[in-house]
Amino acid sequence: MRFVVLLAVLLAGCATPPGTSPESKPEQPPVVPATPPRQENIAIAGLMDSARAEAAAGNLPGAAASLERALRIEPRNPRLWHELARVRLKQGQHAQAESVAARSNSWAGDDKALRAENWRLIAESRQARGDTDGAQAALEQAGASR
Amino acid sequence: MLRRRPKLWKVVRLALLAVVLAVAGFTLYLDIRVRSEFEGRRFALPARIYARPLELHAGLHIAQADVEDELGSLGYREAPPEGDSGWYSKSENSLVVALRPFVFWDGKQPAKRVTIFFDQNRITALRDTGGAELALARLEPLPIGGIYPAGNEDRVLVRLDDVPKHLVQALISVEDRSYFSHAGFDLRGLARAARSVFSDKVQGGSTITQQLVKNFFLTPERTLQRKFTELVMAVLLEIHYDKNEILETYLNEIYFGQDRDRAIHGVGLAAQFYFGKEVQYLNVAESALLVGMVRGPALYDPYRHPQRALERRNLVLREVRDQKGITPEEYASARGSPLNVSKKTGTGTTPYPAFLQLVHRQLRRDYDEADLRTEGLRIFTTLDPRVQDAAETALAKRLAQYDKDKRFGPQPGLEGAVVVTDPQSGEVQALVGGRDPRYRGYNRALDAARPVGSLLKPAIYLTALSEPARYTLLTPIDDGPFVWKSRGAPDWQPANYDKKFHGMVPLRTALAQSYNAAAARLGTDLGIERVLDNVRRLGVDRPLRPFASTLLGAVELSPFEVAQMYQTIASGGFRSPLRAIRDVTTQEGRPLTRYPLAVEQVFAPEPIYLLAAAMQDVVREGTAQGLNRFLPPETAAAGKTGTTDEQRDAWFAGFTGDRLGIVWIGYDDNRAARLSGAGAALPVWGDMMSVLAPEPLALARPERIELVWIDPQTGLRGGTSCPGATEVPFVQGSAPRERAPCSGAMDAAVEVVEKSVERAKGWLDRLLGR
Repeated sequence: MRFVVLLAVLLAGCATPPGTSPESKPEQPPVVPATPPRQENIAIAGLMDSARAEAAAGNLPGAAASLERALRIEPRNPRLWHELARVRLKQGQHAQAESVAARSNSWAGDDKALRAENWRLIAESRQARGDTDGAQAALEQAGASR
Repeated sequence: MLRRRPKLWKVVRLALLAVVLAVAGFTLYLDIRVRSEFEGRRFALPARIYARPLELHAGLHIAQADVEDELGSLGYREAPPEGDSGWYSKSENSLVVALRPFVFWDGKQPAKRVTIFFDQNRITALRDTGGAELALARLEPLPIGGIYPAGNEDRVLVRLDDVPKHLVQALISVEDRSYFSHAGFDLRGLARAARSVFSDKVQGGSTITQQLVKNFFLTPERTLQRKFTELVMAVLLEIHYDKNEILETYLNEIYFGQDRDRAIHGVGLAAQFYFGKEVQYLNVAESALLVGMVRGPALYDPYRHPQRALERRNLVLREVRDQKGITPEEYASARGSPLNVSKKTGTGTTPYPAFLQLVHRQLRRDYDEADLRTEGLRIFTTLDPRVQDAAETALAKRLAQYDKDKRFGPQPGLEGAVVVTDPQSGEVQALVGGRDPRYRGYNRALDAARPVGSLLKPAIYLTALSEPARYTLLTPIDDGPFVWKSRGAPDWQPANYDKKFHGMVPLRTALAQSYNAAAARLGTDLGIERVLDNVRRLGVDRPLRPFASTLLGAVELSPFEVAQMYQTIASGGFRSPLRAIRDVTTQEGRPLTRYPLAVEQVFAPEPIYLLAAAMQDVVREGTAQGLNRFLPPETAAAGKTGTTDEQRDAWFAGFTGDRLGIVWIGYDDNRAARLSGAGAALPVWGDMMSVLAPEPLALARPERIELVWIDPQTGLRGGTSCPGATEVPFVQGSAPRERAPCSGAMDAAVEVVEKSVERAKGWLDRLLGR
């Protein structure tokens, strides 16, 4: 009987090798220090640079995350909202792109060039959705903002 | 006889075979259990929930003391430094922080040293050790709880390599000296254990492997059969896995006591809980204390029974010395050291149960309950502990005061709830579900649906202001007695709070003074459905009954729903779903889900701007004037008070440049509270915000809004020559054309000049292509 138990134990023991769990260590490349323009918050400038680099590398969610991080620091910075609208457009999130561009416009104040850019972005987004009339109207707004 | 013999033999043989088969089958069954459970998910790991990380950068408004507080709650020790990171040292106007490494949702942040320079509650610069300026430094986020598996088991997994040698040595010396040589059981121990089944003494002699099997697979009853099962499984375990694997699992499994409702398991969490440090930094004495606790975590609880725990620790140390695990010198110095346990900060599964409930609900939309409780997910939330503490303190303090003023006696006291969000992003910064913020039960912020009273009025005025040709901030509204007749319902005659009627009043005054008759008349004129439609557009999802009384707040909403509604006003007509979560990653840090900032423009900017400006008047000169006791006038906060029938509910909803807050106060059983929004809810809001030093509210003025000087006497165009003239915003073309008599030729001329300058500027811009 003891023999059978032992046999069963041994047979079972051969059935599977012990498991191994690989350890993964995500590494991040060192952040290259940005050379920020004077007068501007260097934290914002740094995050904007990262967002652009991420977007250029095709990492759109990463770019959006960097811009959101910057927006937590400067929620009224219309440039940041504009960049975020750009990322949303690239992501194909047209409704978001339009709303975020409108948000940028709401903080744009006297920055007419930025307003025009936002309207062009809205036009592009509407065009992409097949709303030609809406796109035309937005382009007119872009012209009026100049 | 001769015939019978073989038959008996056959029976015996068959019986033996049956027994053998049964035992073999049982063993096989145990083997499958051992392998599947040990191999598969070895530990159910709770989802770990974090507050927002504190993001430091030049220009940030924060006091040095607040950063020190945050570091303190993260378990950073003030120098002397211990280990490579996890400490800080301070001097006047600067802090050196040795940041621990941390895996954020966007990657790993290595350990680094940062010097932070302060000047009067503001960070002026961040520098690394080489003196180079840093753009940003992110402190690791504060863990604020978890979503726990059955029994609220909590643990932090460690690898054997991370556990100090002296801890392992102490464990082996005390619990299982022959661990590295036995096959899962120890014969002498077994004999002792066998005796203990029949006597009633606490058994010893279980090997580490057996203890692990017992904790892992078996119920705590002590029977012979269970002992046998334990033994077989221990042997099976030893056959399948090597000693180090079993030991590592054991170290992660052992129970180290309770933190209220949370069970502390494993040396990783025990090191953090009792000593506030990572396991690799435990010294000899600390390790011995933990090993001593294995036998009886409650008995040797260093907080409740420090003397007993100390004696036990020293016993362990002696044992280790006798086994030559430590030198006599090490022994002497460890024996002489105090217990050194960290100040008890344990708050059970979470200090912020109300906020965690919100997180849990939002997570359940995307994740399986089982995964949340076992997969060790890391949840990064939006909670700002500083805001949360300010909200909790303000509510508790005021409620205690109101209860005392009333002397209602021992019956259940007043209750309340607070929600604070970031108006730009919809992130929830704080959530208080009742006066006892640690209570894990009824969450009034989310689940108490109460009549909102006047808090619904802004929707009426928003609807009106969306028609600039008919309504401006100055349009006269009739606050005379009002009767609403509808078939099949009794007449509805809203009265004013002061029991008076005020005749014709400017629209913004009707809102500022929260006149009921005026609001009811205006709302019914505009159309109940139209107003309710705007309530829905502002973000209220609940079905609204299309009655006139709904307009004056005969609708029950939770403070959280009210926050969603006011969020849309505070953010300029852009609706953002209120979010408590930013990111979810796996245990190792691989991103799983992002909860991005989402905005939807649901109102034109002009009427929202006018409404927000009118809500600033509510604070400047209306029902919320009391706020000026708490905040300087330049904060220019916007708000609305709400009080319901018989003063059962007191509300205040308001926002500054950087925060939106909703406060509700009332009794759970709906008794008349005899407290008003302005008298009871507003002071809570004021206390909370004044602690947080809010940013002034600077509304983004839409292009199509112009500011016009108005003579308060006539409501006509005025100028500096009119006494008390104020600038009032209008949608372009909607301001009165007529001039007040007090307005001189000079004012008109100034206006004409201003206009032409404006026009010339626009022309020049166009010419220069700007």
